[in-house]
Amino acid sequence: MKEYNFFLGCIAPNRYPGIEASAVKTSREFGIELCDFKGASCCPAPGAFGSMDINAWLALAARNICLSEKEGKDIALVCNGCYKSLFETNYRLKENPELRAKVNSVLANAGYEFQGTQEVRHLIDVLHKDVGVEKVKESVEVPLTGLNVAIHYGCHLLRPKVERIFDSSERPVFFDELVEALGAKSIDYKEKMMCCGAGGGVRSYKIDLALDMVNEKLYNMTQAGADVVVNVCPFCHLQLDRGQLEIKEKFGDVYDLPVLHYNQLLGIAQGMNPEELGLSAHVIDVEPLLAKVL
Amino acid sequence: MDQEKRIGVFVCHCGTNIAGVVNIPEIVEYTKTLPNVAFADAYTYVCSTPGQEMIINAIKEQNLNGVVVAACSPRLHEPTFRRATERGGVNQFLFSMANIREQNTWVHMEMPEEATRKAKDLIRMEVARASKLEPLEAKVVPVEKAALVIGAGIAGIQASLDLAASGIKTYLVEKEPSIGGNMSRLDKTFPTLDCSQCILTPKMVDVERSENIELMTYSEVEDVSGYIGNFDVTIRQKSRYVYEDKCNGCGKCQEVCPVSRPNEFDLGLQPRKAAYVPFPQAVPLKFTIDMDSCIKCDLCKADDACGELEAIDFDKPDEIVNVKVGTIIVATGFDMYDVERKEEWGYKVYDNVVTGLEFERLIGASGPTGGKVIRPSDGKQPKSVGFVLCAGSRDQDEEDGAKPYCSRVCCMYSLKHAHQLIEKIPGCVPYLFYMDIRSFGKAYEEFYYRIQDEGGKFIRGRVAKITEDPITKNLIVTAEDTLLGEIMEMEMDMVVLASAVVPTESTQKIKKLLTLSNSPDGWLLEAHPKLNPMSTTTDGVFLAGMCQGPRDIPDVVAHAGAAAAAASIPIHRGSVTLEPIYAIVDEERCGGCATCIGMCPYGATELTHVDSKLIAHVNEAKCKGCGTCGSACPSGAIKMQHFTNEQIMSEIEAFAQVW
Amino acid sequence: MADEFEPNILGILCNWCTYAGADLAGTARTQYPPNVRVIRTMCTGRLDPAFVLKALSLGADGVLVSGCHIGDCHYLAGNFKARRRVALIRKLLEEYGYDRERLRMTFVSASEGALWAEVVQDMVNTIKKLGPNPLKQAGAAGQEGAIADEF
Repeated sequence: MKEYNFFLGCIAPNRYPGIEASAVKTSREFGIELCDFKGASCCPAPGAFGSMDINAWLALAARNICLSEKEGKDIALVCNGCYKSLFETNYRLKENPELRAKVNSVLANAGYEFQGTQEVRHLIDVLHKDVGVEKVKESVEVPLTGLNVAIHYGCHLLRPKVERIFDSSERPVFFDELVEALGAKSIDYKEKMMCCGAGGGVRSYKIDLALDMVNEKLYNMTQAGADVVVNVCPFCHLQLDRGQLEIKEKFGDVYDLPVLHYNQLLGIAQGMNPEELGLSAHVIDVEPLLAKVL
Repeated sequence: MDQEKRIGVFVCHCGTNIAGVVNIPEIVEYTKTLPNVAFADAYTYVCSTPGQEMIINAIKEQNLNGVVVAACSPRLHEPTFRRATERGGVNQFLFSMANIREQNTWVHMEMPEEATRKAKDLIRMEVARASKLEPLEAKVVPVEKAALVIGAGIAGIQASLDLAASGIKTYLVEKEPSIGGNMSRLDKTFPTLDCSQCILTPKMVDVERSENIELMTYSEVEDVSGYIGNFDVTIRQKSRYVYEDKCNGCGKCQEVCPVSRPNEFDLGLQPRKAAYVPFPQAVPLKFTIDMDSCIKCDLCKADDACGELEAIDFDKPDEIVNVKVGTIIVATGFDMYDVERKEEWGYKVYDNVVTGLEFERLIGASGPTGGKVIRPSDGKQPKSVGFVLCAGSRDQDEEDGAKPYCSRVCCMYSLKHAHQLIEKIPGCVPYLFYMDIRSFGKAYEEFYYRIQDEGGKFIRGRVAKITEDPITKNLIVTAEDTLLGEIMEMEMDMVVLASAVVPTESTQKIKKLLTLSNSPDGWLLEAHPKLNPMSTTTDGVFLAGMCQGPRDIPDVVAHAGAAAAAASIPIHRGSVTLEPIYAIVDEERCGGCATCIGMCPYGATELTHVDSKLIAHVNEAKCKGCGTCGSACPSGAIKMQHFTNEQIMSEIEAFAQVW
Repeated sequence: MADEFEPNILGILCNWCTYAGADLAGTARTQYPPNVRVIRTMCTGRLDPAFVLKALSLGADGVLVSGCHIGDCHYLAGNFKARRRVALIRKLLEEYGYDRERLRMTFVSASEGALWAEVVQDMVNTIKKLGPNPLKQAGAAGQEGAIADEF
C-alpha cells in the first residue's frame, strides 16, 4: 500500500465532497491509500492569493509541505490550483537555495523548516505514471462504450511548462489515454486547451468575463457532441457545473451537460454506486449520463 | 646571464582611458623606484608613431635591455611594441606588457585609488617578469601552397573561387552529394528577385571547371593536425557506390530504381529514388546510391540502365585522402530551427503550416509543385497566407530551444514571399505578423515600400497561437495587433513560419577538430567582432558565411571574399613566423620518466636515446607551447620558453611584494 | 564597516579564453572589484602546483585559476589536466591548514565578459568570508623557507 497525504484543498470538501470520496475509493483499487492530512490549510489559492503577495503564498504553501515532510510522506492532490501552489513551491524551493532561505526565515516564526525531501503529485499523474493505463483498463467493470467525453485539462496542471513535468503543454495526451482506458471516447473540440475562466482570481473579480469564457467552452463541447465533461480540478468542476446555472440566468443558454471529476468517472467504470461517488451533489443532473452507461 | 638588467617602462595615458582614472605621475614615480628599472616615462598614446619613437630613443639613449609597456591588453598591441623593441635594437622577446586598461581602468572606473594601486602592482609584476626574460628567435616555417575550404554553399564556393583565382590550389570539401548549399534551395533572392539557381549555377560550374580547385563532394573532414602553414588533413570520401569517372549523369539508374525516399534537398516535400542526384543542376552531376535505402535489386546495373558503363559497384569502399594545406576556411553554413518545438504554432501538426525554407521549395520551379503555390492539405491555391516573423528568433526565454538573436534574413525573405504570392496568385493577400521589419541593406527599405504598395498587409504583434479548422484545414491565427491595441483572430488558408536559423550540427564536429570556440549564441567565434570577423584565434583557420553568424547573401559573399583574402596571405608570403614559446628539454635533468609523453595532446614529446640514456625530446614543429608537460615534469627538466618557471615565480613574488 | 578586509587574489588566466574574456569585460566596461592581479599563461595546463603554494606562502589570500570550458581547450586537453591538478592541490591545502576555497578554478570563454566579472565578485565574496591568509596574521608570510625555493 503506497501512502500519500491527501491534500484536499477547499472546494472539494466544501462543495463537491464526491470528488474526495471517489478519489479515496478508486485509489484503493490500485493499492494507493490517500490518508487524512492533518493540519493542512488552504493551499493558498494561487491566483487570488499568489498575485497579491508572492512571499506569503510561498510560505503558506511551504508550510503545508513541511507538515507532510514531518511524516515522511509524499502529497497527492486532485486540484490544479492546489497543484500549482504545492508542486511549484516544492520545485522552486528545491531549485533555489536563496529563495528557500528566505521562505524558511518566515517559516521559522512558526517553527517550520522546509527540507525538500518530499514530492507533490497530482493524482492523475500518479494514475498515468505509477499505476499505468493498462492497470486502469483492467480495473474497468462497466466499460463506458459509446460515451463521448469532452476532456478539460485546465491550466495550472500543465503550465508554466518549465516548472512542470509533462511533455507537452499544448497537445498533451495522458488524460485522454486515461479516459479512453475506461472505454469512452475522448472527443476533440474547438479550443480544447482553453482556460475555464475560474482561476487567477477572475471568477471572484469579474464573474461576467469568467462566465463568458466557460460559456464558450461549453458551447464548443456541445457542438462536438459531448455527453459529459471530465476534469481534474474542483475549481474547473465548479465553474463548468455550477457555472451552467449562472450562465442560464445571465445569458439564457442551456446545455444540461453533466460534469464529472475524473475519479468519479473512474468510479463509475469500476462499478461503484453513483451515490457513493457523491454525484447527487452536482448542480447539473447526472442521470442522463448514468442512463447511457449503466 | 649576469648582465645588469636595464628595463625601460612606458606608461600609456591612452587619452583619458587610463589617465582619466589613475594617477599617472604617481605611477611613473613609483616605477622608477623598482629594481632593474633604468628609465620610466609616460605618454598619451604609446602605440602611436611618436610613442614608438619614444621607446626606440629611450632604448638607445638609456642603454636599455628590456622594455615594459603599461597600457592596453597585450592581445591588442603586443606585436606593435615587440616590433618597436626590435627596431630599437633589443630582442622582441625581452618585451613584456602590463594590462592596465581592459583589466584595470576600464573595469574600476569609480575607484581611482584602487586602480592606481593595482596599476602599480601590475607594473611591478611585469618588471619582475621582464627581468627574467631571455632573447629568443622567432621561428620561420614554410607555408604549404594549398588551402582547404570546408563546406560548399555560396560561402565556400565564393571563397574557393577567390583562392583559386589568386593561384592557390584549393581543396573544397562538401558533405552532400552536390555543392550549392541552402542557396540552391531558394527560388528568388531579395531584393532584386534574381533567380537563385540562375546566379548560383554559373559559380558552381566555375568551381567544377577551375584547375586550381579540387572538388571533393560527398566527403567529410575527419581529422586535422598540425599548425598554420602545415596542416595535415584527413578526408573521408564517402562511397557513392558509383565510379565518378564512369558516370556520365544520364539518369537511367534513377529511372529504373524502384525505391522512393523523401528528398532531403526538398526538405522531404518531394521524393527521390535510392539512386539519385539531389537536384537537376547538381555539381558534380554524378549519381549517388543511398545504400541505406537500396534493396540491391540490381535493376540499375541492368543492360538497359547503367549496363555498359559499369559505373555502379555496390562494394565500392569509402576512400581516405590525406592532404597538406597552409590555411583552412570553415564555411559550414546553417540549418533551420526545429520550430515544431514551439507547439503553439502547430508545425508538423497542421498540414498547412510550413517553414520559410519549405515555402521556397513550394514556390520554386524545380520544387514539388513546379512553382505553383498550393496548400499541402488539398492542393488548392491559398488566398490568404499568414507569415509569422521571428518564429523562434528574438526569444529571450529560450524555451524549447528558441534563440535570443535576430536571424537577420527572415524579414526580407518574408517580404519577398509576400511579393511572390501577390504576383502569382491574383487576389491572394499576404499578412505579415511582425515585431519589427528589419530591412537594413541596400535597396531593402525600398523593397519594403514596394510590398506595402503592392498590397501586403502588416500586423505588428506576435502570433500567440494557431488552431486548425478540422474540416477546412484552414488556420485560425490569434495575435495582438499592438498598434490598434486589440486581440485579433483571423482565418487563413496557409501559414508560413519564418523560423530561426541555427548553426549546423556538423559545425560542432569541425569546431572540435580545429579547436575553435563558440560565441555565446552558438555560432563560431571570430577573432574580433568588428575588425576581424573572418578570422579565428586559431592561426591559419578562417570563417566564411553563416557559420559565424546569420547574414544574407551579399554579406556572405563579402565575408567569404574577406576570408579568402586573409587565408591567401600566408600562402602568398610563403612563410609564417611562429612564436618560439615551445618547450625545451634539459637533457641533463631529464630522468626519462615519460610523464610528459602522456601529457601532450599533440604527441609532441618523444623518448629518444642519447648515449644509453632515455631522454625526452620535444618536436618543435608539433609543440604549441601550452605548458602542460612543463608543469608536470617531476625533474623540472622542461623549460617553457617565454613562460619559464623562473619568470612566472618572479611575477608571483612581485605580486606578493616580496623582493 | 571601517577597514574592511580587502583580499589580495592572484589570478592565473589562460590566454585564449579567460584572459580574452576579461579583456571583453573591459571593453564592455563591466565593473567588478579590484582585488585580482592577473598572470597570463598560454594555457591553464601550465599551472604548476608550486605556483599556488608559493603565492599562498607569501601571503596571497586566494588564487583564482581560469581557463576554457571543458571540451573547448585551445590546446585540446590542458584544462582537463589543470582541473585535476587543482582538485589535488585543494586537498593538499587542507593538509597545510588552509581552507580549500582559497584556490578556485573557473571556466570562462573569450566571449563571456559578464561571467568573468561575476566570477571575480564571487571569489572576492568567498575570500572576504574566509578572512585574510592565516600566515599574514601569524606574521609568517614571506619568511625564508616558508616553502621550498627550488625555482
